[in-house]
Amino acid sequence: MEFTNIQKLENLLLVAVPRDLMDDEVIQLRREVLQAIRKYGSQMVLLDFSKVDICDSFFGRFIYSTSKMVELMGAQVIISGLQDVVIETMVELGMTLPNVDAVLDLDDALALSRSLSRRQNGVAPDEEMLLESAVAAEEE
Amino acid sequence: MAEVSRLWLPVRIPIRDDTHAVVAAQQGRSLAAQLGFTLVEQTAFSTAILEIARNIVKYAGGGDITLQVVQDGDRAGIVVLACDEGPGIEDIELALKDGFSTGKSLGLGLPGAKRLMDVFEIASRPGHGTTVAMQKWKRPTSH
Repeated sequence: MEFTNIQKLENLLLVAVPRDLMDDEVIQLRREVLQAIRKYGSQMVLLDFSKVDICDSFFGRFIYSTSKMVELMGAQVIISGLQDVVIETMVELGMTLPNVDAVLDLDDALALSRSLSRRQNGVAPDEEMLLESAVAAEEE
Repeated sequence: MAEVSRLWLPVRIPIRDDTHAVVAAQQGRSLAAQLGFTLVEQTAFSTAILEIARNIVKYAGGGDITLQVVQDGDRAGIVVLACDEGPGIEDIELALKDGFSTGKSLGLGLPGAKRLMDVFEIASRPGHGTTVAMQKWKRPTSH
């Protein structure tokens, strides 16, 4: 399976949002994101907007629907790479993106993704130990 | 910087699908850049065109957008006329409210575009179509 706009980077799926987003592209891109999450077991999807210079509410709908679908796979969407003038226009337009976190750039996205996976890897052994001690206590 | 003294012919872009909507927005941006709009003004202007153009595709199935440079003394701006022969808008006041949508959208299209422009007017006859007229002036550069 070849993903044209998606790259895997550690636990992160890097999605290059096309500059001109069309209706049929949205459907295709969302499907590929879900397939890639399943393939790589990714926990975080980064929608990279650095190619986008005109961001209307159609993009907002794309971010919203993608984040909802990604959530249902137990992963999370974050966005990055918004140009300053695009940010100004989005806010003026009235676009708010509740429940979607943003980071400044890829560095921050990687840092966030690493801290998330460390936490998840770190929690599991602790729980195992708790379980073991609970089992041991019951046996006594 | 801005070539306000030349003759600007209107640019008409037929809108049938969302690739045309994108073309209209890019043409708007390029015209705004030629007039010397700042990057923020170009972005706001082209975003409003994209909103309105996608609305035409979605609700009317097609129409057209005309871009016309206007001058008032040494002030320059661009008028956007978006016309369709779709179902029209029953309640314009309601359609201009944030969050209202008859389609599956965020309901930002019309009120959002209005906020990005200096002038924004809608005329609609249900059953006959809708015309949106909007305009943005280039902010005067400091002397």
